[in-house]
Amino acid sequence: MMNRRHFIKNLSMVAGSSLAMAPNMQALAKIVEPTPPLSSKAQFARSLKKNPGLIGFANITENFALTGLTIEGRMPDDLSGTFYRIGPAGHERGDLRYQHLFEGDGMLHSFHFSGGKIFHQGKFINTPKFAKEKQAGKFIYSGPDTKISGARAVHHADEINSSNTNVISVGDKLWTLWEAGSPMQVNPQTLDSSHWVNLGQNSPFEQSLKGMPFSAHPKVDPGGDIFNFGLNGNGQAVLYHLSANGRMKNAAVVNAGYRGMLHDFLITHKHILLILPSLSPNGAGKGFFQRTRFEKEQPMRVLVIDKAELTIKKGYQLPPGFAFHFGNAWEERDGTIHFDASLYPDDSSLHNLSAVMKGQVNKHTSRSQTVLYTLKAKGGFTQQYIDGDSEFPKVYDHLVGHRNRLLYTTGHKHNPLWADSIRKLNTDTGAVDEYYYGEDYLVEEHVITTNKADEGSGYLLGTALHLPSKRTCINLFQADNLSQGPIMRAWLPYHIPLGFHGNFQRS
Amino acid sequence: MTKTAAKLFIFSTFALSSFFVHSADIQLEITGVKSAQGKLYIQLFNGEENYNQGNAELATITKAKPGNASLTFQDVDNGEYALRFYHDENNNGKLDSNLFGMPTEGYGFSNNALPNFGPAKYQEMKFQISDGDIKLSSKIIY
Repeated sequence: MMNRRHFIKNLSMVAGSSLAMAPNMQALAKIVEPTPPLSSKAQFARSLKKNPGLIGFANITENFALTGLTIEGRMPDDLSGTFYRIGPAGHERGDLRYQHLFEGDGMLHSFHFSGGKIFHQGKFINTPKFAKEKQAGKFIYSGPDTKISGARAVHHADEINSSNTNVISVGDKLWTLWEAGSPMQVNPQTLDSSHWVNLGQNSPFEQSLKGMPFSAHPKVDPGGDIFNFGLNGNGQAVLYHLSANGRMKNAAVVNAGYRGMLHDFLITHKHILLILPSLSPNGAGKGFFQRTRFEKEQPMRVLVIDKAELTIKKGYQLPPGFAFHFGNAWEERDGTIHFDASLYPDDSSLHNLSAVMKGQVNKHTSRSQTVLYTLKAKGGFTQQYIDGDSEFPKVYDHLVGHRNRLLYTTGHKHNPLWADSIRKLNTDTGAVDEYYYGEDYLVEEHVITTNKADEGSGYLLGTALHLPSKRTCINLFQADNLSQGPIMRAWLPYHIPLGFHGNFQRS
Repeated sequence: MTKTAAKLFIFSTFALSSFFVHSADIQLEITGVKSAQGKLYIQLFNGEENYNQGNAELATITKAKPGNASLTFQDVDNGEYALRFYHDENNNGKLDSNLFGMPTEGYGFSNNALPNFGPAKYQEMKFQISDGDIKLSSKIIY
């Protein structure tokens, strides 16, 4: 039997930190008492009758069985594969409606292109949270913003992981992603959920990455390796380098000194860029998103991190700004770094995703626009604002971390609620090629798919919600000619909820 | 002599009664152990200060087995206590945690006190020993 004194000493060593929740979880806990739950749901239901655009934020209760789409136009011969996209779909249970769009249970959609036909199916990610709450017929955990009366205790982030933000292919599986917890492994054919991915398993990291935050925007370099980050509420960030099949090659924690919200990041061929917006937690007792505030005096910082060592090499301070998303970064031989951001002047876009959950659609929302930054090797920077607004930036896969000239984004021309247009920007010449869907459509993220390592080749495709008919369509464009309009449009006989991110997996 | 013997008897009776009345056994049942791998480490703390400082009054180890495990701390003095335990599945003598300090092995507390967006609170795990044995049951958290 172990010597008692020695044993007690061992236990004491682990008592201080290991039985404590990570600070990011503590941060999530400071939740304000909500508006009475019934009123949110009732407010939304009332607004939905007046504003059909809100149908994209309505609650979904059932999976979508395999359904064929009605195709208009020409299906290209060189396109086969599956377009996966994900977003929050379960916004309500019982009398309660979530307070923020980011809280809803994730639903994964697949659009399978084969033999000139397209089939859709949609399935809720069967997270432990989803399974328990479905069985209970009500929400049983508080969310980041929504306080549930009598909620169950939350021991770790994956207990409330809704896996609702992005989906990527890793090896022969799909990973559906949140940003404060683990990826969920999903079958690419059936969309059945399997288990939380233990990121260190079968690597030297073993259990030491279990349950760690894994952001929803991993970057895949042209060689196939996957890079990602996860943010802790105490200002630390974990950085990951995985092989294409998901095996962890390297991981390390750096002190980012940042307590705000961080959704996306970038890589060059040599470095990881953590671009830290001018956000800070501000407001005791408020929910996580509620208290995330734009600080107009706080610089937007860039941490330049060596990809091989996963250590911070240098930092830059940029004028205050906020971006959910960045398109690409690349680096010159002398160390000059270029990157783009879909930059907002404040945080109104984040908070209006709370207002829309109550059916409020007329609040002012600041628009984001593409800003091209250059970080000089010896310090200093330049920035160039591109006219027009932009979101969901995309570049060609073979150019991730390398010099790109084309940047594809969505944009708002007239619709205050969601995007209504897509754009291709040549960042060298400023030339714009764009397509406006019209006032009847709410346009979601569009992705590039090509079988060539050739910028401008292949197709841009994405979904849009057609409001008059309450149906979702998938739209295919020649990537080098958006303004001619979709070369193919395929219709679902129903609508699916407005979502976030996805990718096309060619077969 | 008789008087002295009587005094001694009275004293020893008092002492014995003091011994028996003011200490007790704590029987703990840990439920929900998921495997037979490794061991369960259990620690008993006397009061909040000792808990916060990690100064255990008593500690013990028992072999893990799927389901429930029972153990007893004997002759514990009256007072306020808290228990915590963990399942050392990989037999390395410590509760493993991830790079951000979150436990990656099973753990738990007396009264089924639960961490909730933060560490479990001492006030929720404390219990009193006063003049009698007690039985406790706590579920392990994985």
